[in-house]
Amino acid sequence: MSGQKDPMAMEVETAPIAETSNSSKSSMDITTDPGKNVMASGAVGSITCSLHPLVIMNVSEHWTRERAQEGSVQQVIGALIGKQKGRNIEIMNSFELVFTVIGGDIIIDRDYYNMKEEQFKQVFSDMDFIGWYTTGDTPSATDIKVHKQICEINESPILLKLNPYDKNIEHLPVNLYESVIDLVSGEATMLFVPLNYTLATEEAERIGVDHVARMSSMDSGESSLVAEHLTAQHSAIKMLHSRVRLVLEYMKAVQSGQLPRNHEILREAYSLCHRLPVMDGLRFRQDFYNQCNDVGLMTYLGTLTKGCNDLNQFVNKFNILYDRQGLGRRMRGIFF
Amino acid sequence: MSKPSSSSASEAAACDSQEQIAQKNWEMANNVEIVSSVDEIYRYDKKQQQDILAAKPWEKDPHFFKDIKISALALLKMVMHARSGGTLEVMGLILGKVDGNTMFVMDSFALPVEGTETRVNAQAQAYEYMSSYIEAAKLVGRQENAIGWYHSHPGYGCWLSGIDVGTQMLNQNFQEPFVAIVIDPVRTISAGKVCLGAFRTYPKGYKPPNEEPSEYQTIPLNKIEDFGVHCKQYYSLEVSYFKSALDRRLLDSLWNKYWVNTLSSSSLLTNADYTTCQIFDLSEKLEQSEAAIGRGGFIVGGADPHEKRTEDKLLKATKDSCKTTIEIIHGLMAQMIKDRLFNSVTPH
Repeated sequence: MSGQKDPMAMEVETAPIAETSNSSKSSMDITTDPGKNVMASGAVGSITCSLHPLVIMNVSEHWTRERAQEGSVQQVIGALIGKQKGRNIEIMNSFELVFTVIGGDIIIDRDYYNMKEEQFKQVFSDMDFIGWYTTGDTPSATDIKVHKQICEINESPILLKLNPYDKNIEHLPVNLYESVIDLVSGEATMLFVPLNYTLATEEAERIGVDHVARMSSMDSGESSLVAEHLTAQHSAIKMLHSRVRLVLEYMKAVQSGQLPRNHEILREAYSLCHRLPVMDGLRFRQDFYNQCNDVGLMTYLGTLTKGCNDLNQFVNKFNILYDRQGLGRRMRGIFF
Repeated sequence: MSKPSSSSASEAAACDSQEQIAQKNWEMANNVEIVSSVDEIYRYDKKQQQDILAAKPWEKDPHFFKDIKISALALLKMVMHARSGGTLEVMGLILGKVDGNTMFVMDSFALPVEGTETRVNAQAQAYEYMSSYIEAAKLVGRQENAIGWYHSHPGYGCWLSGIDVGTQMLNQNFQEPFVAIVIDPVRTISAGKVCLGAFRTYPKGYKPPNEEPSEYQTIPLNKIEDFGVHCKQYYSLEVSYFKSALDRRLLDSLWNKYWVNTLSSSSLLTNADYTTCQIFDLSEKLEQSEAAIGRGGFIVGGADPHEKRTEDKLLKATKDSCKTTIEIIHGLMAQMIKDRLFNSVTPH
């Protein structure tokens, strides 16, 4: 079932991806010095990335901590570690890096990195150095310089940028980039290409994230387990509903001529509808009923156990109340 | 959709206006104030911590620390590490600080120790790792010291075993202030709620003044004796979690992508093994309680306390069965919801 959902998640996300490339193009127009532009135009990323929420929380905590201790906003830099399988990169964890600022340039401390690499290899032996992270908005020339230093450690590192000031809740202010060497006015220069990423779906992580996300909004002592569980489902369904409505409104607008037709979006919406019902074979129905029956059976047993317990307690109380000296005890001896 | 970029364009254009400048200044001043009160907790006050360490107010009162606040990051790290161990126990250290009767856990890190329950001390390799990690952390602004250790109990609940109690007592003699955190990744996934406990042991021979009724936990049969022998030697701290302003904002945005995972999770399939183990365990417990009730009739004079114990056995078995039943019903609810949402559409 979860395998079925990933294509749907991708379909929902292709719309924002078209937007980010638009916004990056318009921000390129805004940057005053076109010579400082470090984004490769029109290039598509060559790899797919899967990002764990733990990494995002790591970066956020690093930034918050530095700010709280220094009293002012600091740019933070750190390393990303994870696994790479072919064209798929899974970014699983991260740690901080020490850097010095010499003459306006950021120099990464290689010794510190080597020591940390030794450490993390002991605990996460199957993870490798994948790239680096920093805070800020769109990548700049200083990022290119640091990226070149990182390239000495790993040939093609990934850059993760977290923007702590992005107030738009609609999207995650985290962007991933990889680097390409392009010819710009005759010179081979390094440019950044934005990458698409999905969020990794580890179940324990999801529950942890869910818990810290909702803990302050809940009153402490939510006594009903069912209500908690259903609230989570309800929020998810609400999101699904709002997304579906968005697509529907777009279709209506196209139909009434308010918006221009975008064939790609219409094609995807059509294929989405075509996939429903998701699963409806005889085999599925049988398995599903089996599962329901199993759960029903366990519930029945649970209820029986509860009934036995209640009955046992009742019998004990009855015996205590109506116990007659000698007669009662001898009677029980006979029956058992 | 293209609003963020167009608003930044308009901001750049209208920045000349005095009003805009004044408003931005006010906003920035306001933001800074709001954030600093929430994120004060992330600032490490070395002097204050050293004073507290010198004063050692916990020496006189075994019940000194009452609650523990864990940061969102530390929780996620511990959960992920515990989960990565699978059915093996894993172990790590936690970094943090102390303030009044509360312990604060800011961060955690994993230790390269092979997890088996019989190991009391970390190996020499782990000691070296610990000290070099904490030293390296100080270089990047992580000033906190080690304030405890955590380990996982995959599938058998959050409590301290005999060996854990021994280790923690040792720690509390030499490394105060220190706390023991236990996390169960299997139950976390099965119940859909984080299963974590924070404990401090009483010194040897200390009798706690009043018997606190602790929350009932399902313990598998093979561990119940270990639990029962030692459960009075420690107490649990009240756990709460905190997060920074940026964390809150990121978590809100995360939800925009994560809701898909919530809908698509199938806990019945993920937890199939664990549920089966629970049912086996439950059946053994029921057999035990049945045997105990059967014997009850022959004992004369000692009937009442004995019956109370058999009652307890059956009562506990009932609570366990209720817990398992509730979890699978939740799983089935999720399946039904998915079926309704995605299968009940008739194609034209």
